[in-house]
Amino acid sequence: MTSLLAAEERAPSPPSPVRGARAKNVIFLMMEGGPSHIDTFDPKPALERLHLQEFFRDGKTKSAMETGKRYYVRSPFRFVRAGLSGADMAENWSHLATVADDICFFRGCSVDSVNHPTALFQMNCGNRFGGDPAIGAWVTYGLGSENHDLPGFVVLPEVSYPQGGAANWGHGYLPARFQGTPLRPRGSPLLDLAPPDHVTATMQRKNLALLATLDAAHAAVHPGQDDLAARMSAYELAFRMQMEVPGVLDLSQETARTKELYGVGDPATDSFGRKCLLARRLVEQGVRFVQLYHGSWDSHDSIQRAHGTLVRAVDRPIAALLDDLKRRGLLESTLVVWCGEFGRTPDNGVRGGTAYGRDHNPNAMTIWLAGGGCNAGHTIGATDELGMTAVEGKAHVRDFHVTLLHLLGLDDNTLTFYHAGRFKQLSQFGGTVIDDLIA
Amino acid sequence: MGSTGRSIVVAALLGCALGMSARRGAGAPPPDAARAATDHERLFVRRIAPLLAAKCAACHGADPSAVDPAAVEGGLSLTNRESALRGGDSGTAAIVPGDAAAGTLLRAVRRDDPGVSAMPPKAADRLSDEEIVWLREWIVAGAVWPDADRVAAIRARHADEWTEEDGVTIATSGGLSPAWDARRYDPAGLWAYRPVLKPAVPATSPRAVPATSPRAVPATSPRAVSATSPRAVSATSPRAVSATHPIDAFLEARLPAGLIPAPPADRRTLVRRVTFDLTGLPPTPAEMEAFLADERDDDAAFATVVERLLASPHHGERMAQHWLDVTRYADSGGFANDYERGNAWRYRDYVVRSFNDDKPYDRFVREQIAGDELGPGDPEKLIATGFLRMGPWELTGMEVEKIARQRFLDDVVNSVGETFLAHPLQCARCHDHKFDPVPTRDYYAIQAVFATTQLAEPAAPFLPTENTAGFGERAALERAREEHIATLARLDAVLLDNAARWFTEHGKDPTRWHGAVAMARRRQEEASRAGKRRRPYADVFAEARRQLLDGGEPEEDFPPKLVGFTPEQFGLERVARKGLERLAFALERYEPWALAVYTGRTREYKTILTPLRVPEDRMTKGEIEATAILVGGDPFAPAHAVKPGVLSVLGGVAPNPIPDGIEGRRRAFAEWVASPSNPLTSRAIVNRVWMWHFGTPLAGNPNNFGVTGKRPTHPELLDWLAASFVEQGWSVKALHRQILGSAAYRRAALHPDPRAVRALDPLGTGYAVFHPRRLSAEELRDAMLMATGELNPAVGGIPNRPEINAEVALQPRQVMGTFAAAWVPNPRPEERHRRSLYALKLRGLGDPAMEVFNTPTPDFSCERRDTTIVTPQVFTLFNGRASHARAVALAARVLRETGLADRADERAIDRCFFLVYGRPASPDERTACLAHWRELEIEQAGITPGRVRPPPVVRREAVEENTGETFSFTETLHAGADFVPDLEPADCDARTRALADVCLVLFNTAEFTYVD
Repeated sequence: MTSLLAAEERAPSPPSPVRGARAKNVIFLMMEGGPSHIDTFDPKPALERLHLQEFFRDGKTKSAMETGKRYYVRSPFRFVRAGLSGADMAENWSHLATVADDICFFRGCSVDSVNHPTALFQMNCGNRFGGDPAIGAWVTYGLGSENHDLPGFVVLPEVSYPQGGAANWGHGYLPARFQGTPLRPRGSPLLDLAPPDHVTATMQRKNLALLATLDAAHAAVHPGQDDLAARMSAYELAFRMQMEVPGVLDLSQETARTKELYGVGDPATDSFGRKCLLARRLVEQGVRFVQLYHGSWDSHDSIQRAHGTLVRAVDRPIAALLDDLKRRGLLESTLVVWCGEFGRTPDNGVRGGTAYGRDHNPNAMTIWLAGGGCNAGHTIGATDELGMTAVEGKAHVRDFHVTLLHLLGLDDNTLTFYHAGRFKQLSQFGGTVIDDLIA
Repeated sequence: MGSTGRSIVVAALLGCALGMSARRGAGAPPPDAARAATDHERLFVRRIAPLLAAKCAACHGADPSAVDPAAVEGGLSLTNRESALRGGDSGTAAIVPGDAAAGTLLRAVRRDDPGVSAMPPKAADRLSDEEIVWLREWIVAGAVWPDADRVAAIRARHADEWTEEDGVTIATSGGLSPAWDARRYDPAGLWAYRPVLKPAVPATSPRAVPATSPRAVPATSPRAVSATSPRAVSATSPRAVSATHPIDAFLEARLPAGLIPAPPADRRTLVRRVTFDLTGLPPTPAEMEAFLADERDDDAAFATVVERLLASPHHGERMAQHWLDVTRYADSGGFANDYERGNAWRYRDYVVRSFNDDKPYDRFVREQIAGDELGPGDPEKLIATGFLRMGPWELTGMEVEKIARQRFLDDVVNSVGETFLAHPLQCARCHDHKFDPVPTRDYYAIQAVFATTQLAEPAAPFLPTENTAGFGERAALERAREEHIATLARLDAVLLDNAARWFTEHGKDPTRWHGAVAMARRRQEEASRAGKRRRPYADVFAEARRQLLDGGEPEEDFPPKLVGFTPEQFGLERVARKGLERLAFALERYEPWALAVYTGRTREYKTILTPLRVPEDRMTKGEIEATAILVGGDPFAPAHAVKPGVLSVLGGVAPNPIPDGIEGRRRAFAEWVASPSNPLTSRAIVNRVWMWHFGTPLAGNPNNFGVTGKRPTHPELLDWLAASFVEQGWSVKALHRQILGSAAYRRAALHPDPRAVRALDPLGTGYAVFHPRRLSAEELRDAMLMATGELNPAVGGIPNRPEINAEVALQPRQVMGTFAAAWVPNPRPEERHRRSLYALKLRGLGDPAMEVFNTPTPDFSCERRDTTIVTPQVFTLFNGRASHARAVALAARVLRETGLADRADERAIDRCFFLVYGRPASPDERTACLAHWRELEIEQAGITPGRVRPPPVVRREAVEENTGETFSFTETLHAGADFVPDLEPADCDARTRALADVCLVLFNTAEFTYVD
């Protein structure tokens, strides 16, 4: 009991990271909805001959989505071998192809859930049912933040929040300061960052001064109450953030050339281009973990049209991000992750007729990494000939999480937090580092 | 008392549940059992075998209780000597007998060899130094490894002797392995399973226990200062031993030596404390004055206040807030759809009523677990079972039904355990509990209790006690419904037009199509007339396609589904179709249904897209689930069958067996939970109530009395409270009176010698001083509304929708297949300004102003709220519109009340202080605030504040799933029609607005946000 108590008191200062890790920051590109590996980075020529061939699946272990009359669907995209490494890419990733050698593709991952919010929770938090700390919270807890005027874990969501909402970037049982702070794409980037319009800066300063006077008198007669000081400094920090944050977010400080590289200004790429450019600026400012959302990639009915548009929206911005990070010498210390919550099936269900789309697939997906000491220029693991399930280099998402932490110098087995009777960790029950993903 | 004595006492107290070395199926000892064990055999049996089982077996054992019996990490099995000597895939032996340095095992557990992975992997599971010494000694001595029979014999022979030092074994219904059954527990960790025996109240020393509070507080000084004044302490007189409150006697017995309790809080502080505590609201100035003016002694005056508050309808609201934190109340189901649970509010109000009526707690427990079985046809009892539905749950077409059903069963078992028994049970889902005497068999026995529990929204007529006001708002939902139906009709027409074009473009013959369309149209019209429409909207196009498909027509001969839709139309179709589905759940709110359960067979559903009623054939259709231990918690891996049961560690408590027919399982289980002899139930609730009053529980984890939970700081007091509670008929109000009557509760938050407190009571569990607490999010909002006079005190009823941050309100939110409706505040201020308890609580859309002040997520039971200090709180409270609105409202109220009388400005500042803090301003404060007011009036004079109105419609943009393209649609915010704004700065002159700046500052001060 004594040891548990002591450990609990100790918990808020996690062990120092392992020396020698190259990654210090993470930019996590979350393609919410489940991008199809079969139509992006994992070609399946065998589907050509099975195209539209029908079959029937049933069983109590399957969901309504997976059962009934089904048929195979070939990919509408042509594939190329990109870069010196010859990475497989659908040809519509024309910009990303130029940085193919900086990327490590991983085809071995699987998750436990076949539906969006649960799979997304698992990818983000390790646990299917939400409520646990997000990986960004763990990383910020483990490494701290280098900019004390900005949150350490920033999320750039879509205008529309994903299924499961803000729990995807929650702090769970970790202290609240590790919560992901969404910088909103429209309106006030942080909620209530600025007072209502009629409040001038002078009024704000004067109000703060009166508050400081009253609070100081209160604190003076409450000598035992430490949180009063913390509270007073929170007001000071808030005022600094109010001044500083708009500047960090202001992309007008970037050159026209840079903005063009990211696709800012082109309606097709503007939205995600802005996010990628902002992510780079945030990392430069010392923000530890930036998670970008894009979606929805949930193309049940029309892969060609839907994935075509989606790839176009992110291809140029992501390529520009990798290129820009490299030119600024930041790619080495910044781990870029691209994934969805699961992959998609080689077959589709008949829902009122044929549509060339794909259902959810927790057993096969493509994740890729760039920078941060990953094994760039390699493709790790493989799925079966139809892309239904991973067969080589198989790893559960918990192993992937453990590997991400490892690249950051963090050990999932020591990065734990005592809560509800046990020491909890991102991987839930421990995992194995996937060595092949590391340079 | 020596350790031997202690063990024996423990064994006796646990009665038949606990016997030394009790094991099932221990056969006759084998012949060589008589041979005396060597030291190292004994070392193995006593230390090494349990160590390997606890620390290694999950990955390196064939132990069937391991997560996955097939998995042997690294090819290394530590189940027998041969395989340990052989080693794993690395080819190196784990153990080399006689040579500690050679094998990998010792190096792994010492965690200091870079060439060998540290084990166990998780640092928190590391072996203690003592355990490493044992392991080393055992290896050096040759790693003797007796066979199973000999292990059993040695264990039996030495059981008594080892019990003395190693703790006790406990009899349960039986774990999956003999090793688990033989596990030893530190008796101290088993405190919660022991019967509650009412301890004698300790004698107290006749030393100074201050009995009276300093009433003569100078009216102008902040209450904080008065309590520390030396005069306040010296004014007290020692009280006779006989008059010491039992609670104080128990606390004094454990008070750190040399620590003198703080004096009583002054009356002003005390009434603010107890009013927030019992009602979640501040005292009104009149209530404050009445208490200050009460000439009677402190005890009598305070008792009157307590009775008044306990009788207030707001008391039940405050208690419900606490209870609903534990039970995870929300008005929606979470996950992909986050469908509204239209009638969850009736359970919320049931909880409020129960606390207000002082319903005996045992009845409250029984009703929530089995109300439907206890009182068939009684709406009140049916509504109570809403408790069983509080977890997030849904069944979509993307989830396997059996897994979804299992999620409910797992949720409800754990929830019952945490809520009523202070015992989380989920750890025993995949294996025997790693720390507590809870075999996985018990987990599934309790699950079997719920195997005939089915989810539904049964009929439950509204009760006269229920607040059914405001149902008129459903008109807004009906308007949205009509709009969706109209959209779908319009889109159906578009599809039919597009189909015609498709035939032209593709040069196909449309004859058969025309026939199908005509037939579909006719059928839908007929169905309409007969009131039997399959869907409430026109879908002639889809129906015609269905006919042709079913008739075997080749697909390429007629148009594809949703032919020719633009991205916009794709999006609109979904929004309308799914919107209708969603509205059906929201419209439940105004109808006499209950979010509840029924008893019956389990039916098959592929998806649940509408509220469910109780089927007529509930007892005959469907399967009777045969509950079994599930290997690894997997519903497709049933192993041993189990019967409905209870926690077997409390073997002595079960008076009646749980039936295993369809009906009556929960009723019998509820009787067991609420039995006076169940030691967990009464301890759990008195511990919670104690925490609600003091901020700190006696046992540190109110949801976990198991081995890993914190042990009680005052075990005798906890038991005394639990026993008294049962004696007093499980009356929660009697428990409140008892606790509030103690001197400890009435102590000042300021100690004359804070350094002594810190030195002598570093963990703050001595109760020598009252710990100040920050107001909860709900109290902050409610107290602000109370200060401004805007609070609508109506109790109960359908949830309201206050104004939340406008950007969040309109934030598009993806739910399955569509977007959830926007948050539309109620049109009238009095509807918006209800207590925070009543605000619509959607799992997918939290009010950020509440969350930032630590309201818990409704996905997990919250045993105790956090109080963190983070910067976004400042943005909310200092910049947020709600704060500014309250500040303006307070300023306007005060100026209205103080008028233009003599020294009006001074009086206005004083009035602000009264309404915000419950005290007048000190001269310094008055001067500072007056100066601020005047300065800001000059600033404000140059400003013309704008007006902000919620938009009547919101234009939504989103990525459409079929095309990957952006589409937009317009959502009309029907519920926002006739919106009447709160008082706005634009309504006020510069003087009022400047006073509002003073008010805003007061609302942001520590004095307002904390209660001493």
